[in-house]
Amino acid sequence: MTPPARVAVVTGASRGLGAMIAGFLSSEGFALVLTARGGAALSERLLSLRAPGRPVEGVVGDVSDPAHRREIRQAVDRLGGRVDLLVNNASELGPSPLRPLVEVEVGDLARVYATNVAAPIALVAELGPALRRGHGLIVNITSDAAVGAYARWGPYGASKAALELATRTLAVELREWGVSAVVVDPGDLRTAMHQAAFPGEDISDRPLPEVTLPFWAWLLGQDPSAVNGGRFRAQADRWELPA
Amino acid sequence: MTAVELEFPIPPGLGADRSPEDRGIARDAVRLLVSDGPHDKDRSFHDLPEILEPGDLLVVNESATIPASLAAEASFGRIVVNLSTRYGRDLWLVEPRWGPGAPGPLPLAVGDRLDLAGTGAELVAPFPGVPRLWFLRTDGDLSTTIATFGQPIRYGYLARSYPLDRYQTLFARVPGSAEMPSAGGPFTDRLVRRLQERGVRVVSIVLHTGVSSLEVGDAAPGAVPVYPEPFEVPAATVSAIAETRRSGGRVVAVGTTVVRALESSTESGLLRPTRGFTRLYLHSTQPTRTVDGILTGFHDGRSTHLELLAAVAGSAVVRRSYRHAVGSGYLWHEFGDAQLLWAASSPRGASLSA
Repeated sequence: MTPPARVAVVTGASRGLGAMIAGFLSSEGFALVLTARGGAALSERLLSLRAPGRPVEGVVGDVSDPAHRREIRQAVDRLGGRVDLLVNNASELGPSPLRPLVEVEVGDLARVYATNVAAPIALVAELGPALRRGHGLIVNITSDAAVGAYARWGPYGASKAALELATRTLAVELREWGVSAVVVDPGDLRTAMHQAAFPGEDISDRPLPEVTLPFWAWLLGQDPSAVNGGRFRAQADRWELPA
Repeated sequence: MTAVELEFPIPPGLGADRSPEDRGIARDAVRLLVSDGPHDKDRSFHDLPEILEPGDLLVVNESATIPASLAAEASFGRIVVNLSTRYGRDLWLVEPRWGPGAPGPLPLAVGDRLDLAGTGAELVAPFPGVPRLWFLRTDGDLSTTIATFGQPIRYGYLARSYPLDRYQTLFARVPGSAEMPSAGGPFTDRLVRRLQERGVRVVSIVLHTGVSSLEVGDAAPGAVPVYPEPFEVPAATVSAIAETRRSGGRVVAVGTTVVRALESSTESGLLRPTRGFTRLYLHSTQPTRTVDGILTGFHDGRSTHLELLAAVAGSAVVRRSYRHAVGSGYLWHEFGDAQLLWAASSPRGASLSA
């Protein structure tokens, strides 16, 4: 009897960074619950990952939708009801081309916050018992825009800054459950979202998401409680454990 | 154009194609070129205790070389897989090659299966920006395979293969380097004893080196794709460096790996104990104050190592001393001769007169 596979949930897993992380976790032997808004792209990703002994569940929907989050939990329950790793990767950039903060419609602002701040927190809540059973690690994807004040990146940057503080709060609050939380800034990558931020520009000088593979391998090799509350840059000059 | 503006093929006959033992000399009898602002002086490595002064500190790399080269079977035939760096239990960065003198390219694709002496493995992705390097996932722990079948990584310029112990420095303690941290190569027991008698202390770091220095090429500074390497700077080394600085002694890195490890452990000018991975790239345009000098071998004309030397000693000194080295027939590569470069800011100035 082989031990039950570790279970990972990755949101926004059909393309770019999320798809790369899903592929890496699959080769690490994780059972996967993958989510994305686009059904066709997600199906394609699922097909490429489906292999004997590696269960992969796909859930199509928007992370800001409570019904979608419930479906994610149901998929987790089908895989045994525990989560070892939750990667909140699905993010909303806001209207493209990017524009100054005062020119952003309030509705757009709310949409960015709903996807980037409220949804990850709500998904942690939805998966709370499962995370607790898995002594899980929550990885919330952030950005350097959360730290620097970049013109036209206001909605996205402010939402990620809020997500970072929420994550540090979760790290403190969930510690007694044995659940850990970190934020990871993957750095500039050649992805559809990055292209949307720079419409019409050549972004081929940005590295592919695979450049972050050593970082993910390193992060998953650490004791989650040792990284709890940390902020990591996957393309930094160095990674180390928080003091 | 690189800031060092050094681009040359290694002159014929100046690549060390055999180990010092094979050339009929002791390891510590290789030549030593001592270079500072105005001077280049031809010495022997054996003279090192006299060149250094009481109170100086040598920082060495205790990483030991692993037999990282494995014969492998691909769908299209037999190849060699050189393991560079281990990132997780079963994830490695590797360089697949036809053989020691034949890097490729090889017809490889994502998802290809390889057989490494009986252990299955799958190509995950090429390393972005460096197509000759691949992420490889093995079906199980490779440790036994490495211990049983691994050979030291060898390149075409060596006349013969050597057993692993020829690739270990005197300081080798923690296995993990794909290639020998070769700056420590010329040290022998008797030399270290003389250094201690002289009042020169030796402390250590660990940095596991992957496969050879990447070429700078035309990449802009900071844009050179450097893969992360594991390193550790212990607290004892941090305090020894602080004491040396307080007493006016000089800190000399034995090898480029030591400079990278120390620089990676420096935050806002403050050195502290650190353990993690580093992909820090030192460039001539960002001088380092972490060390006062570096002991090293002679490096290829288009490598990140030369940029690092320039970050310590300045581009002008590197350029001039390399011209001298070529003119005076110094030997290149891991079994070649050595160089001691002093930083212009070294507290005692450069003691070339010693």
